[in-house]
Amino acid sequence: MNLRTTDREAVPEMPNRLGIQGIEFIEYATNRPQALGQVLESMGFKPVARHRSREVTLYRQGGMNLVVNANPDDARVSATADGEAEISAVAFRVQDALKAHTRCIDLGAWSVTSQAQAMELHIPAIHGPGGTRYYFVDRWQEFSIYDIDFKPIPTVDQHPAAVESMSYFGVVQYIGSARSADWMAYYEHMFDFSVIPDDERFGILPKGKLMKSPCGQFLWQLIEPDPWMEADDAPESLKRIGFGVKDVAQTVKTLKANGVEFVESKELHPEDRGALTRSALGAVSFELVHQAS
Amino acid sequence: MNLLDGYGMDTITMAGPLEAKLEAMKSVGFSQVMLMARDLVGHPGGVKAAVKAVQESGLRPTGFQVLRDFEGLSGHLHSYKVDIAKSMLEMCAATGSKVLLACSSTSRHATEDLDLIAKDLKKLAMMAIPLGIKVAYEGLSWGRTVNEFTTSWDVVCRADCPNLGIGIDSFHIFAAKTPLDAIEDIDPDRIFLAQLSDFMWHETPSFEERMTTARTFRVFPGEGVHSDQLADLVLRLERIGYRGDYSFEVFNDDYQQLPLETVAERARKSATWLHQDVLHRSAPLPSWASNIQKGAV
Repeated sequence: MNLRTTDREAVPEMPNRLGIQGIEFIEYATNRPQALGQVLESMGFKPVARHRSREVTLYRQGGMNLVVNANPDDARVSATADGEAEISAVAFRVQDALKAHTRCIDLGAWSVTSQAQAMELHIPAIHGPGGTRYYFVDRWQEFSIYDIDFKPIPTVDQHPAAVESMSYFGVVQYIGSARSADWMAYYEHMFDFSVIPDDERFGILPKGKLMKSPCGQFLWQLIEPDPWMEADDAPESLKRIGFGVKDVAQTVKTLKANGVEFVESKELHPEDRGALTRSALGAVSFELVHQAS
Repeated sequence: MNLLDGYGMDTITMAGPLEAKLEAMKSVGFSQVMLMARDLVGHPGGVKAAVKAVQESGLRPTGFQVLRDFEGLSGHLHSYKVDIAKSMLEMCAATGSKVLLACSSTSRHATEDLDLIAKDLKKLAMMAIPLGIKVAYEGLSWGRTVNEFTTSWDVVCRADCPNLGIGIDSFHIFAAKTPLDAIEDIDPDRIFLAQLSDFMWHETPSFEERMTTARTFRVFPGEGVHSDQLADLVLRLERIGYRGDYSFEVFNDDYQQLPLETVAERARKSATWLHQDVLHRSAPLPSWASNIQKGAV
């Protein structure tokens, strides 16, 4: 007979059926990789490796991997007109990539056809909002997936420290009007994300709905157009990345010294809770969010 | 504001090329159209040309139909239907339709377990979310397990997914003689489509009779023998707070051989009957009069 105290009241645990354990990498698509590279370097990312067969570069700082995809054969790259860079994929660390992918397909996700070349890793993926993808990666403990598909850039430190210990805090997704309930249901069902109450917010941009990953390592923010905005029928997209930092003021200072500009208006400006960088390359901006621990 | 704004015709009602159907609807004042996949696929210029024709007509798609026999299957039949559903969803999205109509299964191979049916419909709804599409699940009056709106609503509640709702079709309600009181139990925000039509028989006891009548001899609201019930249905929908579109789902072999303008005119009369005699909404003022009201003159 099991007499564990939690069983008496049937307290449900936060399910994490995919075994999500944080973000392995985030991918941008652009046909101006060098320009985006400059923006990323000003934010503290360093290019550390290049893809073996495609025009793809791996940037890194601390525990954050960021991939810049400029492969002209990729429809997501050619779709980024005018040199604008867009977030094109997020890769989740999961317990078992194949099982995670199979489960999501069973639940109604759309599978992405792999374009892996000979000897390259086939990373299973599903379609996300707009033209984006969600990858599932399970080989992040024993060895690095990047050792297979990427060649290190010679003489470059493969593990550069993060600026002010920045880490991935979350992703902001722009959605269509009256679509919050749909996407919340989707992420709950697919990834076991859970909704955070409306009075609990982080950073300086609290709009929309906020969800938490089942591992507790990152957040997902869903933002609808304002009702008064006339016919904002822009496609749904992953809009920006949020970085968690212990000291926002110090991080802002360090990044400013790197040439990063911040939004500094009466309504929105750097403060202890967070800060927002000014858009570069059309729509690339980053958010700093104060993270206690 | 146009009197016909909340009402629309269905491409299945008329014969002829898609462009001619759209033009006929537009010419009598309709501003929306319910699209049948066959009308797009059968376009001589292909689906792309059909989508272009819809866009150029300026008519707003009420929805896109129809996904049949999706739910309750297993193994290779389920996988096959998932593939079909994906193609339908892609076409639906291409036309700019926000609603895909899915009809309850008639298949003998499908399960009767409502929870399994709900599970499959939730999967369909999940497939539709990234494309921004809502799924309206409609109980066909000859559906094997789900053949009344009360059961389709039960299944939708079990699935509990915000973009899965029900499609109401007056024909199936009258054919199955489902009491209208149950309308009160439905959340009006989860009625994603209300299709209206009538027919000429008082009784359709067998599934075969319902099927034949539904596919060949429906008429516009106000033209059949269930006008009172149809008015009752619409008033009840209004009372629970339904503010969505009313689409005329009229399959009729006679209308298929009449000039399109004649059929469109019958639809216009039907919409006017619903609007003025049933819902007692006033006709909109002419534009010069509304300008005076706004003080614009």
